[in-house]
Amino acid sequence: MEATQFDKNMMAVAFSEAGEHGTAKEILKNGKKGMATAPTPVKSKPYLKTAFFGAISISAYILLFKNEQLVTDIFTMGGWRWVYPVGAAFFFSFIHGTFASNLLSSLGLEAKK
Amino acid sequence: MKKLLLICLFVLAALPVLTQSAFAAGAGPSKDMLKGIVTQVNGAERTVVFVKDGTKEVRTLALGEKMKIEDMKMNTKVLINLDKHAGENVMKDFSVMFMDMTVSKLLALLAIGAIGGLLSGFIGSGGAFVMTPAMMSLGVPGAVAVASNMCHKFPKAMVGAYKRWKYGQADIKLGLVMASTAIIGVQIGIEIQKYILHKFGGAGSNLYISAVFMVVLVFVGGYVFYDAWKMVKGGGEETVSKLAIAMQKINLPPMIHFKTANVTISAWITVPVGVLTGMLAATIAVGGFVGVPGMIYVVGVSAVVASATELIIAFVMGAWGSVQWGLSGLIDIRLSLLLLATSLIGVQLGALGTTYVKDYIIKVVMATTMLIVAVSRGVMVPGYLADVGFIAPVDAGTITLLERVSYWSLLLALCSAGLIIIVAMVKGMSADRRSRKALAGVHHG
Repeated sequence: MEATQFDKNMMAVAFSEAGEHGTAKEILKNGKKGMATAPTPVKSKPYLKTAFFGAISISAYILLFKNEQLVTDIFTMGGWRWVYPVGAAFFFSFIHGTFASNLLSSLGLEAKK
Repeated sequence: MKKLLLICLFVLAALPVLTQSAFAAGAGPSKDMLKGIVTQVNGAERTVVFVKDGTKEVRTLALGEKMKIEDMKMNTKVLINLDKHAGENVMKDFSVMFMDMTVSKLLALLAIGAIGGLLSGFIGSGGAFVMTPAMMSLGVPGAVAVASNMCHKFPKAMVGAYKRWKYGQADIKLGLVMASTAIIGVQIGIEIQKYILHKFGGAGSNLYISAVFMVVLVFVGGYVFYDAWKMVKGGGEETVSKLAIAMQKINLPPMIHFKTANVTISAWITVPVGVLTGMLAATIAVGGFVGVPGMIYVVGVSAVVASATELIIAFVMGAWGSVQWGLSGLIDIRLSLLLLATSLIGVQLGALGTTYVKDYIIKVVMATTMLIVAVSRGVMVPGYLADVGFIAPVDAGTITLLERVSYWSLLLALCSAGLIIIVAMVKGMSADRRSRKALAGVHHG
């Protein structure tokens, strides 16, 4: 039967009181080893991804507003050109949506597990 | 059952193609609306030379009685409404299609986008009822405001739906069944609108829209509020409505099982709910105000799943609508993308917020929004009644005041809903953190 953490602590105390500090330390070390194997997920925050998608997104916005005359003219020609505004909306939703998702994760705002 | 789902998917796939051919045949949002460029202005004759977009057809148009020649803008894309009663080539009004983007307008769009997104992610719909009037007050022509809002709605709904699907809240099958039937409902709604417009004119149409808006919002919003109140008193536990239990007992094939919603119900129940949602979406422009309560109280879905599934419906209907508005070339992509810049953050924040709050909070937010929006529409009714001739004319000053009250109450609805969401979310998050800390303390102790 495997000793529980409480048993191990008590054993370490007993050895320590008996003057066998080395053995006590060894027991505690093993105990810590056991604890370390317990699942403690530490998720790193996606700062790099946020910066990457943020940069693409802001560049796309700058590109759009630098050429707003041209873009608005072409995008409102009607007919099959509905593909332009709808496609642009899809493109921005993927790029900017990914940025927004990573931004919230970077700020520590995650859904309840 | 799979057959029904396949039919729904087929309808969804075929509709844009069908509408494209309809638009290619010359149909548009309104036959009296022209889009193009004014190349010459003749002050003495009060006429302009107009080149129509796409076909390059050149027309000479006369100014309407109330129009000023100084307001005419040359060499920029404009929208012109014709006054067919005054003559074939007489203008009713004239508006520049693309407003100049100033910093204040840009900030206003970003702010509206953020709160609208938050609301959308949380209750499945919202924002549309305030975004279109807000854009119009910034100087955007009505048709462009509707089109641009539609084009921002579907990507936002798509991102929100994806997030809530990941949290295990969205029922894709229910969303697709509801969306495909709602599209049919939209067509019926448009036909009713056309009939009323034809029979009673613009004022009659406005009165009809406001009346439907008021009745639906007060009745449904009031009931949702009452239900949320009952839940608060009952310890926050959600129960399936008696109506939904009765509906689920009707064993009329084809029966559909919705896995995430955990409901088995006859298609004969879900289809009318979808059609009605679409019909009202075509009338009051916010289908979610009917779709979400419909799914909760008639189909028997929980508020969390209903609001998440509404995002799938909003995505499908928004994409379908955007294709239509794109075909007529009325989407100002700058407006759509500015709204998206903040609403994509807001919608994800709202979506993750639902994982921290109790079900009744969603109902409280929804009911509060609906009831305040009802007030905003209600104050406009006296003006419309006077227009139709049911009551004595109301003076211009009162009308302006009522319009202002209407607009600000819309903003109040948006802000108060946003505030409830933020407060509930912060409370939920700190409670979660406390319980996790306490749990960690127990483990370590």
